[in-house]
Amino acid sequence: MANHLVRYAAQQTKARITPAISQVRAAHDHAHEHHEVGDPVKAVIGNREIVGFGMNGQPNYIDRVDFPLPAIRYKEVTPDIQVLKEKEKGDWNKLTIEEKKALYRASFCQTFAEIKAPTGEWKSVVGFSLIACSLAMWIYIWMKKYVYAPLPKTFAPEWQQAQLERMLDMQIGPIEGLASKYDYEKGRWKE
Amino acid sequence: MFRSALSRSASYARNLAVPNNCKCIAGVRFMSKHSTESDVEFDARYESFFNRKDIDGWECRKAMNDLSGMDLVPEPRIVIAALNACRRLNDIALAIRFLETVKDKCGGKAEIYPYILQEIRPTLNQLGLSTPEELGYDKPELALKSVYDL
Repeated sequence: MANHLVRYAAQQTKARITPAISQVRAAHDHAHEHHEVGDPVKAVIGNREIVGFGMNGQPNYIDRVDFPLPAIRYKEVTPDIQVLKEKEKGDWNKLTIEEKKALYRASFCQTFAEIKAPTGEWKSVVGFSLIACSLAMWIYIWMKKYVYAPLPKTFAPEWQQAQLERMLDMQIGPIEGLASKYDYEKGRWKE
Repeated sequence: MFRSALSRSASYARNLAVPNNCKCIAGVRFMSKHSTESDVEFDARYESFFNRKDIDGWECRKAMNDLSGMDLVPEPRIVIAALNACRRLNDIALAIRFLETVKDKCGGKAEIYPYILQEIRPTLNQLGLSTPEELGYDKPELALKSVYDL
């Protein structure tokens, strides 16, 4: 018994909700000047017709090649478009190319060709990347000049030469390393 | 049904490796493990869906969006049924958009779209539909300002 009452209450609520939605949809046809509580959807999308569920159930418009049919038409219904829509109900053979294009643009913002057209964004990406690289190089030059201490004296060629002679005198790496490459009888590097 | 080359070759490879008694040799879809529908059944399902006399704009768009999300090119019979549904809905923009979708689904292979056009040409003439190429929409016509430049 209680179950039955609950179901009845739910049905009543549903019955109350649905006419409100159809009233909202019908409101698109009448021009509402004064509205204390404006329809929040209409405030966002204006006079555009909701034609589908869309990607997420929200009445938004997006051009995507993998989701070609958005939830709303692109343009609001103006008198010109209304005339075309009436003509659309008749034979399509009677529509001119311009009218077909106008009807398409009323429903959609971009064609597939326009969605997929290259933007040339890669040029700005490469350009900015190279600018960043050159800036990094300038920063390194400044660091070398003003920040880093001078190299130790052990880096001087004469010091390195003396170091090499000392290593050969000590026979560093006699089997497979440095001294093994030096011919001590002839006094020069092995071939 | 046109499917991705991978699933098609997988189907042939399987049939070579494991001979089976199943009659629907070329028909089993490999997309999801839950689907056991054959190609013919899939085509018939979508064709009969579009051919419903009382089809709604919402349902038509839902089916078209679903088709464009799948890894396949719709068979000409599905395309014809969809275009007839657009005619019943008095929505030529929807029909043109669907043709653009079909062309996009054909991908890089250049021989599929002319075949489909050839198959649906009688329907196009009968309904008075222009293909996107005839409208000049195979090249970009208008440019859209980027939202970052507004």
